[in-house]
Amino acid sequence: MAVQTTEIKPSVPSSPFLDFWRVFSRNRMALVGLFMLIAIIFVALFAHKLAPYDISTSANITLKDIYNPPSAAHWLGTDDAGKDVLSNFFFGARVSLIVGFFAAFISVVIGGVLGIVAGFYGGRVENMLMRFTDVMLVIPDLPLMVVIVALTKPSLLNIIFVIGLLGWTTTSRIVRSQTLAVKSRKFVLRARAIGAGNGHIIRHHILPLVMPLLVVNAILVISLAILDESTLSFLGLGDPTAISWGQMLNFAFGRGAMSAGAWWALVVPGFGIVWVVLSLTLLGHGLEQVLNPRLETHHLTPGRSVIHSESSTVMEAKKTTAPVLLDIREMSIHYQAEGKPPARAVENISFRLHEGELMGLVGESGCGKTTLMLGLLRLLPAAGQIVNGKSYFMKKDMTAMSELEIADVRWKGISIIFQGAMNALNPVRTVGDQIREAIIKHSPPLSRRQLQHVDDRVVELLDLVGITVQHKEHYPHQYSGGMRQRAMIAMALACSPQVVIADEPTTALDVMIQAQILELLDNLRHKLGLSIIFVTHDLGVVAEMCDSVLVMYGGVTAEYGSVDTIYNAACHPYTQELLKAFPDLSHPEKRLASIPGYPPRLESLPAGCRFAPRCPRAISRCASEQPALHMLGEGHFASCHLVEASS
Amino acid sequence: MGGRRESQERFVKRYQYLLKKVAWSLFTILFVLVLNFLLFRVLPGDPARAGVRDPRLKKDAIEALRVRFGLDKPVFNCFETLNPIKVGSCTVNPLDTQFFIYVRNLLQGDLGISYSTNRPVGEILAERLWNTVLLIGAGQVLAILLGVFFGILAAWKARTAIDYAALLSSLLAWSLPTFWLGIILLFWGSSHGLPIGGKATPGAGSLPLLQQWGDIARHILLPTLTYTIVYMGEYMLIMRSSLLDVLAEDYILTAKAKGLNTFQILKDHALKNAMLPLVTVIAINLGFTVAGALQIEAVFSWPGLGGAIYEAVVRRDFPILQGAFLMIAISVIVANLLAELTYSYLDPRVQSE
Repeated sequence: MAVQTTEIKPSVPSSPFLDFWRVFSRNRMALVGLFMLIAIIFVALFAHKLAPYDISTSANITLKDIYNPPSAAHWLGTDDAGKDVLSNFFFGARVSLIVGFFAAFISVVIGGVLGIVAGFYGGRVENMLMRFTDVMLVIPDLPLMVVIVALTKPSLLNIIFVIGLLGWTTTSRIVRSQTLAVKSRKFVLRARAIGAGNGHIIRHHILPLVMPLLVVNAILVISLAILDESTLSFLGLGDPTAISWGQMLNFAFGRGAMSAGAWWALVVPGFGIVWVVLSLTLLGHGLEQVLNPRLETHHLTPGRSVIHSESSTVMEAKKTTAPVLLDIREMSIHYQAEGKPPARAVENISFRLHEGELMGLVGESGCGKTTLMLGLLRLLPAAGQIVNGKSYFMKKDMTAMSELEIADVRWKGISIIFQGAMNALNPVRTVGDQIREAIIKHSPPLSRRQLQHVDDRVVELLDLVGITVQHKEHYPHQYSGGMRQRAMIAMALACSPQVVIADEPTTALDVMIQAQILELLDNLRHKLGLSIIFVTHDLGVVAEMCDSVLVMYGGVTAEYGSVDTIYNAACHPYTQELLKAFPDLSHPEKRLASIPGYPPRLESLPAGCRFAPRCPRAISRCASEQPALHMLGEGHFASCHLVEASS
Repeated sequence: MGGRRESQERFVKRYQYLLKKVAWSLFTILFVLVLNFLLFRVLPGDPARAGVRDPRLKKDAIEALRVRFGLDKPVFNCFETLNPIKVGSCTVNPLDTQFFIYVRNLLQGDLGISYSTNRPVGEILAERLWNTVLLIGAGQVLAILLGVFFGILAAWKARTAIDYAALLSSLLAWSLPTFWLGIILLFWGSSHGLPIGGKATPGAGSLPLLQQWGDIARHILLPTLTYTIVYMGEYMLIMRSSLLDVLAEDYILTAKAKGLNTFQILKDHALKNAMLPLVTVIAINLGFTVAGALQIEAVFSWPGLGGAIYEAVVRRDFPILQGAFLMIAISVIVANLLAELTYSYLDPRVQSE
């Protein structure tokens, strides 16, 4: 009942078009381009109203009118035939735009059809069509256009067809690859399964998804067509009855504007071409940014500075005499995006990791586990910021270190085994080379003899994870999935770090390989005396290996304690639900339970307890008030209103 | 040993790959040969027919022209002419058809005779090819170096003022019609004492060698500048977006987690990956760069292949047009093949596909 109140409701009515417009209108480049384009289309449409002179007649023109500089009568001067340049410019817009739009239309239709047919039908059809596209792509098209137009009559229609029939190659390639990508998506397969015909699937499922890309490409094709037309006209292959900007330049350049110093006759038409092409370029580029926003940030963008704070809360799950390696106090990390409330990805997390300890960091995807780990090493993406907390590594505060100091801790003090080793290894460097690099980076300058030792060390590391020497100089793509993950582990051990963070090292591997990797990590831990933080969503993994467990939910600590406490005396309903979701061998008859619903979205967290909307035991207070983290006993913490009484 | 056999297999695979690429390029060249032949037979470019329009020519003179250019022979087996299509005897000796004679002449390096100068087309174009190579070479090297440099800078400093300035100026450069930029630069240069066109000042041939080179350098300055400005923007855009893609990859995060600094990450992890698409784009762009050279040569009266095309268009000198197109197309195809082979050498993933 009370739980329902926290349901997320979208506050603004949304439709695909409105959504698009909202993003589009924030892109200044695209807006400027659109405005420029509308302006020139307006000029072309109303050329006959705007032009101060009638350019179709040569009556009343005398020799004195040739190449007159700009004046009150002729704002932009006169040309080689004594005609008004401004009027010519207005009518030229018409011709240039007509050629651009019609030729591009032909190109886009041909390229679109060929691309969709090739991508959709595949097999021999695709092979033939793409081979043909490749051949056409290699043939230089402007010389070919020149040849064809020179051999035929130079009329506007001819020019439109020649440009249109030769300009479709990029379109067909782009559309084909997009069709291929869309074709194997679930909803297309589903539509096919319920018996939808090819025509139906193309019209209702493929086309809508290919369209955005096609529009961006069409804009590019239009601008190319306009450039092509102006070039052909400039070379003297234009329609002599339809004066385009290129034609104006041809006349001016060929008939002495240069020697007459008549810059206006040369500058004005060129300005028109630049205006149109630039408007289309800006619009296309802006649209691409809107439709494909991946270009926003990257790993070298300097991160936001740490907000320093006094944080003194110490929490540990185990009191031992072993020295403390990592001491994290009240760590909070937010993602800040322009015009949006910050996403509170990690809030107020504290824990301690001792030498030789293996801590499990458990929670569903999107709970802030990886963010926390990246935050420790200050590897957050540009939007991420440590807004509170301290993280000590061997008593040194990492949040206060300079870039140089933290670079020294990375890999030598704390290393990370990333999930998905295929992407975490550089595809164009050999595995051995990438391990060698880490060792050399963290050693003092080495002589040639010592470099030989580095090589021995690489062999030793690979041997440690069960990879034989002959694979040392192979590239990642020559490795199997399990081998890549083991190579990643070898790399993580390269500088003998005190702490290894294993970020879901076994996702995307099959069960047998998973077991091998886990066993390997456990062995290495005992052999090398490593301290490990094991990030996982699988409580079962944790049970076998861990000393302590930190359960995260929606960015906060749900429960933290030693492995025995967590398994035998879990207090937080989330931990209890997670435990139910994992098979218990002593009670095989029990049914596995899954937790209904999803973790909260970090930009719109519930007002009260973050787990409340999914919690089977929620009370009315849970919806309104955030529970504090309570200490339940020696090294056992949980944040839940229900445990308050017992603490 | 296993490793040895594996490397042998890769060796074989690599050669199969090379062979496939070369075969494909040969096929494309063949396609261009046929296209070139058909264009000049189907479209009204027949010199004799062009000559017929001249009323002063007598009938036997026309016939003599046709014989001289081999136009009295059937186009191909079964076809007398292609435009209008006139079906002929299929029992003609295939060696005695226009198509075969065209191919045979080409193989012998014979591209026909220029209508306007009466000199062999091959000879005229061979002189001019090197001028174009010089122009494109100089411009291309400069454009790539500068474009790559600014592209790296823009991607590294993404979303800063540097990035926006580089982005906007390259979009602007991309939007400039090459020939117009050439005209504007020529207009500006000629009022500042630079030559107004050509490759050398008339009579410069008698000067000492060093001064001759200086003279050529002064002539090539503006054409190269035009070329560089137009293509630099494009290479910058490609380098920027490709590097941005790479910098968002997981292995860059790995490199950073390994403690490498920005310079090391760029040099050792990002650039090689980001350059790969650039190689492909340079290859694909070769067709466009030829288009740029054509315009620049027309504006600056540079005596290259593009200039030859421009003059041929003005004088309706079809053999020159035909020969120049063929030469350009084949050069682009070969350059493309070289670029693709370079790519396969640079990217270890290509050969194991």
